[in-house]
Amino acid sequence: MELSPYAQGGWRLLGDPRRFPRRPFAALLRAAFRSLLDHPQAGLDDPDLKDIDPTVLKHCHAAAATCILEAGKHKADISAISTCLEDCKLDKERIEIFCTEYQKNKDALEILLGSIGRSPLHITDVSWRLEYQIKNNQLHKTYQPSYLVTLNVENSDSGSHPDVSFSCTMEQLQDLVGKLKDAAKSLERATQM
Amino acid sequence: GRLALEQLRRGAAPRACETAARKLNIGVDIIQHGVEGLVYLLTESSKLMISEVDFQDSIHVLGFSDELNKSLLQLYLDNRKEIRSILGELAPRLPSYHSLEWRLDVQLASRSLRQQIKPAVTMKLHLNQNEDQTAQVLQTDPATLLHLIQQLEQALGEMKMNHCRRIVRNMK
Repeated sequence: MELSPYAQGGWRLLGDPRRFPRRPFAALLRAAFRSLLDHPQAGLDDPDLKDIDPTVLKHCHAAAATCILEAGKHKADISAISTCLEDCKLDKERIEIFCTEYQKNKDALEILLGSIGRSPLHITDVSWRLEYQIKNNQLHKTYQPSYLVTLNVENSDSGSHPDVSFSCTMEQLQDLVGKLKDAAKSLERATQM
Repeated sequence: GRLALEQLRRGAAPRACETAARKLNIGVDIIQHGVEGLVYLLTESSKLMISEVDFQDSIHVLGFSDELNKSLLQLYLDNRKEIRSILGELAPRLPSYHSLEWRLDVQLASRSLRQQIKPAVTMKLHLNQNEDQTAQVLQTDPATLLHLIQQLEQALGEMKMNHCRRIVRNMK
């Protein structure tokens, strides 16, 4: 796991007890995690941080966030993180504070990183309607059942997308359900392998 | 009769009417009106799916000979099914299901996260809309797939329920 020179510079500042006493250090780490996982603006208004120069604060916050994301991306273990932070001249105590905080937030971080990315339209739900056609203005006495199926879909980028709707006869719906069941069966077989 | 059916299948054919007019030695207009009248008679009868008796009663008022009435009735009965299927295509329609292809995928890594195991089902849904075929690529996760199957099986089961059966019986 490697950090850019800019990030390393930020960590060196964070490791300096004169610039960052223990309490602001812990506060900044908490702020970095919260700004990634909860809300971008979260945490920087912590009273423990008010004495730090804003430029330094910004640099260190960026360095901390970079390290968190790199560790999450590579699913780095404690020893890899420790090695990396040791290279930035952080003492054992501060490394441990970071690792504890990281362990607490590891799962949420993994979910967040896993959800970023492109994928085809994702089906989230389905609704259906069964109707019985009696007549239309071109043809009377049609007497045919038909299904209207709507698939609710979500776009990974923008979140919502017009739903996919289509009509089908009972035979066609049976065909569709049959194919979906085949997919589910082969999924089950794959998980047992 | 033949001209009327061809008009229904393919639209008006003025040259065929001219040929017929020449052969029978009457004006083209008369032929065309005759053909249009026949087309109207056949489509309205087929649309309403009227019985033989009702058809005979309706044309009786035109005062044709018995033989002509019989051939008209025969023309109606022979071609009713085809005319109804042509009319059926004119009705308003939503995109309709054609077929579905599916594929099982496992995502192993992405730019933002390495070492993943994320199963997904990718599908290509083929739909028909007014003679065009569209294909849409969709994806879902295993849990949603099972939910979809359960919901759609419920939908299929509805037709067999007593409520639907009763309505279908009473509508006929």
